[in-house]
Amino acid sequence: MLGKSLLAAVALCLIGPSAAQAHHSFAAFFDANKTVKLRGTVTDFHFTNPHGTIGLDVTDETGKVQRWRAETNAPVVLMRRGWARDSVKPGDIVTIDGWVSRDGKPYLRLRAAFDANGKPIGQMFGQSDG
Amino acid sequence: MRRAARTGLAAWAVVALPLPAAAADRAPPDLAGFWSLDTTPDATDPALIAKLPPDTVVLDDTGVAEFPSGEFGGLKLKPGAQAAAAKWRPQDEMTLSRVCAAPSVVYAIQGPFPFEIYQTPTLIVFKYEYFDQVRLIFMDGRAHPPADAPHSKVGHSTGHWEGDELVVDTTHLAPATITNNGLDHSANVHMVERYKLSADRRTLKATQWFEDPETLDNAGARYIQWQKKDGSYVFPYDCDPSFATQYQAIEEPAETGR
Repeated sequence: MLGKSLLAAVALCLIGPSAAQAHHSFAAFFDANKTVKLRGTVTDFHFTNPHGTIGLDVTDETGKVQRWRAETNAPVVLMRRGWARDSVKPGDIVTIDGWVSRDGKPYLRLRAAFDANGKPIGQMFGQSDG
Repeated sequence: MRRAARTGLAAWAVVALPLPAAAADRAPPDLAGFWSLDTTPDATDPALIAKLPPDTVVLDDTGVAEFPSGEFGGLKLKPGAQAAAAKWRPQDEMTLSRVCAAPSVVYAIQGPFPFEIYQTPTLIVFKYEYFDQVRLIFMDGRAHPPADAPHSKVGHSTGHWEGDELVVDTTHLAPATITNNGLDHSANVHMVERYKLSADRRTLKATQWFEDPETLDNAGARYIQWQKKDGSYVFPYDCDPSFATQYQAIEEPAETGR
């Protein structure tokens, strides 16, 4: 679960189950009713199937850093949504939101990503699969 | 009586002869192309659904939807399958040995990934983006191989045309998931798909029916449809199992004070 110290950086909100999308056991692995929004520094970006991942260091207001990892849709899907291998680079400041994993780890399924200026990176997920 | 029979046969032949000629003139529909999943909510085709055998439940997990743990959309699980599903944990899939293990086509064909069809009179090829799977649909009248022939995740498929519908019969599928939540089919699962084009030939509609008496007390089916996208092609999937290690690395979250 999220620590109290991270609450300043994390916003949980409720969304409808219909927003759930993609494969890889989404319904079993992630909570379709709980999302998290994070701003942090990218540590690494893997652009390989079955899922890409973004490592993100998130700093709370007390200076504590927690490493999160966001799982993306399969890069074959990402490429049709305007993503490329270099869409996200280590050191970038990004804001991401997505569905949290049911196991309580700092792991999520990406729904949307924005660069440091708030510009969307690629298309939001769940709108044009395939 | 013999003459009467011959006369009757001749009269039948006069009526029937033009039909094979007409049928021969009419080529089967051309399914070739790139097909991308159509995510239109509640899409269906009552005529295709009506052709499903009795005691079949149509699963509502086509495309982006999936069942949560413990839900199987009306499939009736045998006790052994129920027990195995109850033990399954989604984290079990996030290992080097599992994360790139391709599902069988029982699960794979309904996912949100496109595929290409190549068609000849004697062979139809389905090339899927998901896990780079390729199916050969033999249209030359051959039978399935002996029961003890090797099984695979794409199985052995034979096909034939029923009017404008392509009917594909698949056996020899290696055990794999049905619903991506702990329910696996056996090596004796039997799948029948029925494909047809919409009137404008831009939508490919299909039912996927399967039976597996070792695992299920009823049969299952899905309705799936895809949209044709000209000029597109499937990308290589080339699954990288290191995805599993990225997940495993956060077992102990990296947290440092600064």
